[in-house]
Amino acid sequence: MKREDSTLLTKYGKDSGFKVPENYFEDFNKRMTEMLPEVEITPVDVKPTMWQRVRPLVYLAAMFAGVWCMMSVFNHFNGTQTDSVGAVAEKLIDDKSNVDEFLMSGSVSDYDLINYDDSVMLSNEEDLSENP
Amino acid sequence: MAAREKYDEAQVVEQLHDPKMCRSAFGKVIEHYSSQLYWQIRRMVIDHDDANDVLQNTFMKAWTNIDNFRGDAKLSTWLYKIAINESITFVNKKKVMNQLSIDDDESFLVNQLESDEWFDGDEAQLNLQKAIASLPEKQRLVFNLRYYDEMKYDEMSEILGTSEGALKASYHHAVKKIEQFLGETE
Repeated sequence: MKREDSTLLTKYGKDSGFKVPENYFEDFNKRMTEMLPEVEITPVDVKPTMWQRVRPLVYLAAMFAGVWCMMSVFNHFNGTQTDSVGAVAEKLIDDKSNVDEFLMSGSVSDYDLINYDDSVMLSNEEDLSENP
Repeated sequence: MAAREKYDEAQVVEQLHDPKMCRSAFGKVIEHYSSQLYWQIRRMVIDHDDANDVLQNTFMKAWTNIDNFRGDAKLSTWLYKIAINESITFVNKKKVMNQLSIDDDESFLVNQLESDEWFDGDEAQLNLQKAIASLPEKQRLVFNLRYYDEMKYDEMSEILGTSEGALKASYHHAVKKIEQFLGETE
């Protein structure tokens, strides 16, 4: 949108034509600081504003909200990989063969394994004899 | 040359209320605001020596009343308020001393401008200043704050105690009047 003062700005700019003596501001600051009289200052605690007080909490909440949003977006776009560890464990436990393997894996001795192999071999031989 | 310390307003305001630190903190305030306040004052009173006196009075008044500044408003707002009040009071006093009517702004300010040795603008700049001088006091203030300092209306509203809508209207009228004045003089 065009500024209403654009004509003036284009034609006259912002230089007012006023000047100051060289080093005026440096000299003024020094002179002014020196001429300040003694005043009595009552020490006060400048109270922080409401915003200054709640700002850390707002930032913390925003950070958590951001992390939560990121997780949601990530889960949304990776549907097949969305199962949590708990959900995967639940699926595995539902599958009975997995339960058996799971339960057995810690207590199977070498002897059991040899017997297991033999029984497999025997059952295979029976299959062969039934279907020559 | 030593590097200038970064100005932290919140820290400075806190130090202004500490008896041990207040003087050095006010030194920082002077260093930070002297230039911007000077130019605002100068555009109101026109003459450099007058602007120098008004700026000095502004800081002196701020310093002697520093105990009353509680940090509820921005420090810049508070200082601008003092500077503007001091400028208006000064111009009115000077007009009385020169036996001019309070409303007789234009001729007084133009005389000030033409006799100021620290004005070296060209003819166009002189005409613009004359056009600004022809405005009523409030419009002149609003125009200077907006045109030269690019001050936002909400900040201006706090300083002048006028609604933003009224300030926008005031600026609009000021621009139109200046354009008309310049159109007639060209």
